Amino acid sequence: MANHPIISIKDLTYTYAATETPALRNINLTINEGEYVSLLGLNGSGKTSLLLCLNGIIPNMMMGEFEGSVVVDGFDTTEVPVRELAKLVGMVFDNPEFQISQWSIAEEIALGLENLGISPNEMVKRIRDMLEVVGLPRFEERSPWALSGGQQQRVSIASALAMYPKILVMDEPTSNLDPIGKEEVFQVANNLNLEKKMTIVVAEHEVEVMAAYADRIILMDNGEIILNGTPEEVFSQVDRFEKIGLRVPQVTAVTKNLEEAKKIKALKKYPVTVDQFYSLVNGLI
Amino acid sequence: MTKPIIECQGLTHIYKNTVVAVDNLNLKVLPGEVVGIIGQNGSGKTTLVKHFNGLLKPTKGKVLIDGRDTTTMKIQELAKTVGYVFQNPNQQLFAKTVESELEFGPRNIGCSEEEVIERREHAIEFFGLENIRLSHPYRIGFPLRKLVGMASIYTMKPKIYIVDEPTTGQDHITTKRVNNLINKLRDEGATIICVAHDMILLADIAQRMIVMKDSKIILDGKMKEVFLNFETIKSTHITPPQVTEVSRVLLQNKKIGKDDLCLTIPEMTTLLKKKIK
Amino acid sequence: MQGVYIPINYIPGDSIIHKIAPIPKFIWVLGFLLIGFSTRNPAILGALVLFGFIMVFVAKVWKPFTIAFIIWIPLAFTTFFFQGIAPAFPRPWEPIFSFGPFTVYQIGLYSGLTLVLRAWAVTIVALVSIFTTHPGDLFTSLQKLGMPFELNFILTMTLQLIPILQNELYVVLSAQKSRGLKGTGFGALIPSMVPVFAGTIERVSQLSIGLESKAFGSKTKKTSYRNISMYPKDYIILVIGALVSAAITYWIFVDKSLDWSRTFLFPKPVAIAMITVAVLGFLTYMIFVIYILIKV
Repeated sequence: MANHPIISIKDLTYTYAATETPALRNINLTINEGEYVSLLGLNGSGKTSLLLCLNGIIPNMMMGEFEGSVVVDGFDTTEVPVRELAKLVGMVFDNPEFQISQWSIAEEIALGLENLGISPNEMVKRIRDMLEVVGLPRFEERSPWALSGGQQQRVSIASALAMYPKILVMDEPTSNLDPIGKEEVFQVANNLNLEKKMTIVVAEHEVEVMAAYADRIILMDNGEIILNGTPEEVFSQVDRFEKIGLRVPQVTAVTKNLEEAKKIKALKKYPVTVDQFYSLVNGLI
Repeated sequence: MTKPIIECQGLTHIYKNTVVAVDNLNLKVLPGEVVGIIGQNGSGKTTLVKHFNGLLKPTKGKVLIDGRDTTTMKIQELAKTVGYVFQNPNQQLFAKTVESELEFGPRNIGCSEEEVIERREHAIEFFGLENIRLSHPYRIGFPLRKLVGMASIYTMKPKIYIVDEPTTGQDHITTKRVNNLINKLRDEGATIICVAHDMILLADIAQRMIVMKDSKIILDGKMKEVFLNFETIKSTHITPPQVTEVSRVLLQNKKIGKDDLCLTIPEMTTLLKKKIK
Repeated sequence: MQGVYIPINYIPGDSIIHKIAPIPKFIWVLGFLLIGFSTRNPAILGALVLFGFIMVFVAKVWKPFTIAFIIWIPLAFTTFFFQGIAPAFPRPWEPIFSFGPFTVYQIGLYSGLTLVLRAWAVTIVALVSIFTTHPGDLFTSLQKLGMPFELNFILTMTLQLIPILQNELYVVLSAQKSRGLKGTGFGALIPSMVPVFAGTIERVSQLSIGLESKAFGSKTKKTSYRNISMYPKDYIILVIGALVSAAITYWIFVDKSLDWSRTFLFPKPVAIAMITVAVLGFLTYMIFVIYILIKV
């Protein structure tokens, strides 16, 4: 994958208005084009705040003290209005029903496009295409209110994609969904990343899934980035996770236990997926 | 023979004359059992458990709670026996302080003032809410609000708890806390019905698992037995815990036996410690 | 959607009224409002009400209309009674009869009757319009008229939220009943309304961030996905509505003989009958409501 940074964050510190503790402290982070990055952290660790910095909602829509810089595809988020950044960064939030405001799926997707001044003909085309991409073909005239959570979330993704962003940002997109819904969303995201080379940034709690799909894991705590690396690199720091109060993929935890019991030799990197773990223990049983 | 505390006989529920949400369901739950119910949204699991506290009444068939037919009792009456912890605490919390929130339930069911205070204090201790007893429920963050929601049902001292998605949207610390609390409730002798998608939680708290699909129960038994039905579980799109997936692979490659199926990290650790020479 | 809820939203259909564009209907509602508030003449108001009922019939929305309108019946009885004994009119008040501590006045009955008719006239046509207008069409039409985007959005969003919030209220009531909450009197008001408000605030704040992320509120020229065409029939209906409303209003202001407030007299037996009906009707309704609430 080409190492072309599409998001560059330098020394970012942000404190919400009327609060004393910064929500983000000294964040330094580079994300390359086409990467699938996962943000992990407890509720309140700063994940949502960081994501809101990526499309300029922070600092443009939220009051607060903003220090440092966030540059997305060459644009500084303090100098460019959210409207412009919305063309680069598509956002999906955790409660799909709370994102809906229109009476038909087509209108819902068209909302952002209307704001950008896209022609009606072009709108029809984009809506049709994006519904195909998220697996809801010909759903244009259906009511978004009547869909399942997984379907609503996919409409949300389609709405974000219709603006042809380069980056798709998702804040705990599956937390309110049932297993099928979760699967649907993870599949769409994965396909977008693999087939369309879209940059994906997701905040999630499903560590096993992130271990399988993400190129990079970023662990946050108290507004800071604690760890930043591949899933194997990051999840192998089992003690750090334990101290914060987060869990690692189950196989990683088991591996650590076995290592401590001296049943396997010391490893620099633990397995994070079922396949990796099986490869490890298969020969030993 | 112990009498079941929850019994469904031929339970059918039809919404608006057309949608069959629960189809001719038979079920017995014994006192003190911890039962996990899983299935897709739309499988009928929420419809089923809403019959236990009377929110829904059967279209056909009977539901007996502690031997009494639910159609002879009002919801408020059943609330003394069956506590329903709603998934979204925002739909239950309204008082000015956590304390008042905890007092709401017992007052409604007719406890004396002393009793109300005693139960409130006991709940605060049990759930570890001392720091926030005077806080406004909407100022304490979502994870704590869920705990307050649970605590406000605890003060009603029901025999049966129906817990709806207690860990959805929660991070690990709060999930562990909820996990421990449910185990403590079990130790106090409560019967617990937990409707959830969180397999890791259920693997820890539940002894028995019921899987629902298309308005029917398709699997019902001890956790391990249920999870051995790999194909059926896959067809419901339920994701078993990762260690269970590993067990499946090991089983398929004949490295372990059926009885060795693991549901939790400690189980797999113990198993492999044995198997690796 | 669970439970019984009051339908105040678009009801799909193919009646002629459904087929009329939103703006002419909007003008008609304004026309009714104008006439309704310009006069207290019971004949004119009665005609408006009758016309409204005819529209309900033509639009084939009898069932949802009855459910939505049912709340007006006891309100009508209450208004009629209270106006009867304490008219919102300058004196002199001519008494008709007394019972207990109350005295019923001619002008009171007139006032009650006309207030009820006025409320009904406006409500019926508004309900019919809501039932027969797709929110998308309304939104696009208002935008074409130059209504500010944000205001337009608020209006149509509110219309959509009505069924959502009713459902939310139902869920909250279920949750509180599961905690032993009895009845739905004043004691139940806070436990049921606070969660709904909190939920709505949460929803709206999340929605606003979501909209902002889609470049909402940007000042550039917006395009529209949906297109509303006005056909000749729509223009004709619009013009007729505007002209007739203007004409009738003019007539009302010019012809003082339309003020029947001092000349429309209720014979004593009629007055007694009407007040009795109002009181009985109100009490019956109250008993019915209490019964339903206790049962539920």
